[in-house]
Amino acid sequence: MNVYLLSLLVFSPLLGIVMVALMPKKEERTIKQFGFFGTLPPLFLSFFLCSQYYSGVALSIFDIKLNWIRFGNLEMYDPKLFTVDFELGLDGLSLIFILLTTIISSLAAIASIYIKKEWKGYYLLFLILEIGMLGVFTAENLILFFIFFEMTLIPAFFLIGRWGFLEREKASYSFLIYNGIGSAVLLVAILILFARTGTTNIAALTQMMTMGGVSLFAPISGSMKYGLCLAFLVAFAIKLPVFPFHSWMVRVHAEAPPSIVMIHAGVLLKIGAYGIIRFGMGIFPEQYKSLAFTIVLFGVLSFLYGAFLALVQTDFKLVLAYSSISHMGIVMMGLGALNEAGIQGAIFQVISHGLIAALLFFLVGALYERTGTTMLPKLGGLAKSMPIFSGFMLACGMASLGLPGMSGFISEFMVFLGLFKSQPLLAAIGVIGLVLTAVYVLRAVMLMTFGKNDSLIEKEKWDLRGWEFLPTLVLLGLIISVGVYPNLLGGPLQGTIEAMMLALGGR
Amino acid sequence: MMEHAWLIPIFPLVTFLVLLLSGGRLRDRGAFIGIICTLASFVLSLLVLIERFKEPTYNISIDWLSFGGTQLSAGFEINQLNALMLVVVSLVSLLVQIYSKGYMKGEVRFSIFYAYLGFFTFAMLGLVMAPNLLQLYIFWELVGVGSFLLIGFYFYKLEAKAAAKKAFIMTRIGDVGLLIGIILLFWETGSFEYGEIFQAVQSGMISSEKLTLIAILIFIGAVGKSGQFPLHTWLPDAMEGPTPVSALIHAATMVAAGVYLVAAMFPLFMASSAAMQVVAITGGITAIFAASIAMVQKDVKRVLAYSTISQLGFMMLALGTSGYVAGVFHLMTHAFFKALLFLAAGSVIHAIHTQDMEKMGGLWRKLNWTGPLFLTGTLAISGFPLLSGFFSKDEILMAAWENGSYILFGLAVVTSFLTAFYMFRLFFMMFAGDSRSQAEQVKESPFIMLIPMLALALLAVIGGYIQTPWFGTFLGEWLVEGNEALLGASHSEGPVWIMLMAVLVSLAGIYLAYMIYVKKKLSREWLVKENSEVFRILENKYYIDEIYHFTAGYAIKGFSIFLSYIERFIVGGLVSTVTSSIEGLGKVGSKLQTGQVQQYGMIAFLGLAVLLVIFAVTGGYLR
Repeated sequence: MNVYLLSLLVFSPLLGIVMVALMPKKEERTIKQFGFFGTLPPLFLSFFLCSQYYSGVALSIFDIKLNWIRFGNLEMYDPKLFTVDFELGLDGLSLIFILLTTIISSLAAIASIYIKKEWKGYYLLFLILEIGMLGVFTAENLILFFIFFEMTLIPAFFLIGRWGFLEREKASYSFLIYNGIGSAVLLVAILILFARTGTTNIAALTQMMTMGGVSLFAPISGSMKYGLCLAFLVAFAIKLPVFPFHSWMVRVHAEAPPSIVMIHAGVLLKIGAYGIIRFGMGIFPEQYKSLAFTIVLFGVLSFLYGAFLALVQTDFKLVLAYSSISHMGIVMMGLGALNEAGIQGAIFQVISHGLIAALLFFLVGALYERTGTTMLPKLGGLAKSMPIFSGFMLACGMASLGLPGMSGFISEFMVFLGLFKSQPLLAAIGVIGLVLTAVYVLRAVMLMTFGKNDSLIEKEKWDLRGWEFLPTLVLLGLIISVGVYPNLLGGPLQGTIEAMMLALGGR
Repeated sequence: MMEHAWLIPIFPLVTFLVLLLSGGRLRDRGAFIGIICTLASFVLSLLVLIERFKEPTYNISIDWLSFGGTQLSAGFEINQLNALMLVVVSLVSLLVQIYSKGYMKGEVRFSIFYAYLGFFTFAMLGLVMAPNLLQLYIFWELVGVGSFLLIGFYFYKLEAKAAAKKAFIMTRIGDVGLLIGIILLFWETGSFEYGEIFQAVQSGMISSEKLTLIAILIFIGAVGKSGQFPLHTWLPDAMEGPTPVSALIHAATMVAAGVYLVAAMFPLFMASSAAMQVVAITGGITAIFAASIAMVQKDVKRVLAYSTISQLGFMMLALGTSGYVAGVFHLMTHAFFKALLFLAAGSVIHAIHTQDMEKMGGLWRKLNWTGPLFLTGTLAISGFPLLSGFFSKDEILMAAWENGSYILFGLAVVTSFLTAFYMFRLFFMMFAGDSRSQAEQVKESPFIMLIPMLALALLAVIGGYIQTPWFGTFLGEWLVEGNEALLGASHSEGPVWIMLMAVLVSLAGIYLAYMIYVKKKLSREWLVKENSEVFRILENKYYIDEIYHFTAGYAIKGFSIFLSYIERFIVGGLVSTVTSSIEGLGKVGSKLQTGQVQQYGMIAFLGLAVLLVIFAVTGGYLR
């Protein structure tokens, strides 16, 4: 049973897909319910895996490996070479990402209640997207990773382009082009590795590249390794995104439906960070190490650039978009710090930003539903008509600016702790961003909720109500739990980070 | 009892959660929850303090965050300094909450107000109990949020909105300094725990340049929180919050956190004379600078705000001149008399609905309780003999003298004079002379507001007797007990004439105010006319706000706009280059689809040729 659990997890949204597919087009209510129920099996399965982990079960017992594709018939080689197996696996790092995915997917499915048309297509794509995301975080070889990676692109493309705001089509095209370029670079790198080593298994590759001495099918020179590492980094830096590859993501944030942005900012961007950790840092530690300064530099650039631009935006969605760029800069800074504090901080930041961005965009969705606008000059004084909404908005803004007691602080703190050790100069420049973050977050949140506004026609019972409390409370609860007791998240990560540090050559 | 001390901050947190979740449905009953919970905290703090007299420092912690081989812990500690602070904070918070029940009566968001007060009290108590710097920083930021929420309590008022934002951002600038200081200290000492840090400092492991840098960075945090020059501008604006909030947060507790931080890190500062000098000079400048502004302000609360800044400067000056006990002592007495002054001012505002001193006057006869209470506070802060402020200010002057910082000593004396003057200017303008008020009926505040003021007045009178040159230096001896780094700092010695001079100086200040504002022997108009330039500068608070606005404010905004052009034209240009080149590639590709087999064959052949050449050159593989 255990062996099939991961496959079951990854493909469990299929159940929902079948249910939604069998419904007639017009049944709005039922489709929405089925769509939401479709996200529950993976949610419960991931909870089960998590409980297994905490009860002390080794995660490796869930690994599955089935023969899948064999290239050529080269009898002279080891039969293990040039095969691509169907192999899924789990470790502490991927477990955390899986949980993030399932939780945010379920909550985004709830937020999808604001979707106004063609519910059937929407939920079908939504659930396919979830399969892709789950697959990405469990794939044990590069080919499988790539397939799942592409599987997230296509549904996201349609979801943005069909159900988004006014300029949705333009946004979805730039999404596709940028991610397509990233994928192309990634594919080339993967294929070169496959051709050279005869395997795409991540663990095997990691061992080959880091331990040395293991005979390769064909030798790879240092400069080639360097190039491959760079290719992985660029591919995932586009996904993250890092300045100057960020403009597609700004458009997506602004134009995609809020429920999809919850997924996009909450999980999809995080694939970039996951990829850098697994492939950039994991497979090519030496080359990665020599690039550390550049990585931090781009991290600091993104951090400050995003913060400065968030300061002058008039659309709240754009403030959040630039804020995401800024926060992903922190991830890069942590990953480039090359010590436990920095790397763990970066992973914390990934999770933390996933939760915070999801909550913020849920609130954006709720706001747009009521006011029909997210333009800051048109808003104001919401604390009067929507006190609960405003309270959540303020709490979430505080989380976003890294208030202690919430998850964002732990990650920012650890990243800077690590960075001041390894790159004190860049760290000292980076701290300016901490002040800027406070400025732009407060500016945006206070423009919306404080003050007075006569132009908004307030209605009765405007505030958050009923089911809307579920996503808000769950997300805020998670943000606070991680902030109050970070070891909750730190525990599962220790193993992975230790292995990384070993490869990177101590601290 | 000390093992249960963790409950002290939990009670106010319960208030916060209960009131927030009840969503304002409790209305006035919210006050009871707040008051009862804070009372519990206060009683517990008192018991802890009493036990601490007999027993040694208590410390407990659990693992909180681990990375690599490092374990960071969370817990709490009860030492002399924070046992004392716990009592001061919970007491002032309790009194302010009782007072607020009367003051905030009729407010729609009454229970939310108590929820915020609960949150603030929780954070402040947590800050005081923190056993390590990281935890201190966590609560340090949380008190900032509490302050932010309460300053912006009247969220619909534009001034309150701006003030809340400014308070948060200005203190955040200081906090970043503190954060860097903590991080650098961690890498130098390998720990956030006070004990381990002090050990490392005393063992001389850290180079003196690093030590100075770290101490100054930590001090920057204190500068932000305690409204020291040049990060003081948020504190006067913070007066937009309800008056009880000003009493609790912006007079007695949060703003004193900076002083507490320097006191708590005292062994670190002691190890760097340069850092001590920075602390002392900043304190001295702030003290006189704020006092000079307080002389010309017209808003009651703003005068008190500048007075608070000035008094905090006094405390910093004391700490910077090695007067550990003097600083902490003044922190305590100031908490009592300044809270009293704010509450009494609130009582006046409550009665006549204005904060403008020009519109007051002649209230002595109408407010039979508030008048004498305000006078008590005014006398205490002016250093009138035998009241609490007299003893603590004396201790500070002694410390400065003993340290040999004669310039700072001079500054402190001048500031004492200014303090007595502006406080009595305030008092006389409010209570003496004829009424200039438009309010027809002036009613004394209700009993529930008077009780806390009476309690504070009592403390403002007798609070000084725990550390006097005559009846023993109980506080000082207790504070430095068992702390080698502070040994010998329990009391500052100085010549007797210092005390006499301090008395004369404050009496002179009072006399001058009396001559100008009561007897009118010196005409105000004449003074203003003769010194119009000085007055203009003082009234505009040395134009610091304007300077910040036109430099930092514009620079950041300008840079943001500059970057948004870069975003639009350069990054945007890159994007359109990418898209158009891909489109172009597609067009070229589609032109190749001619349908001519010969052409396809030729391309295939060329391709093969290229591949063969590559193969021949590289021997099969790119390396």
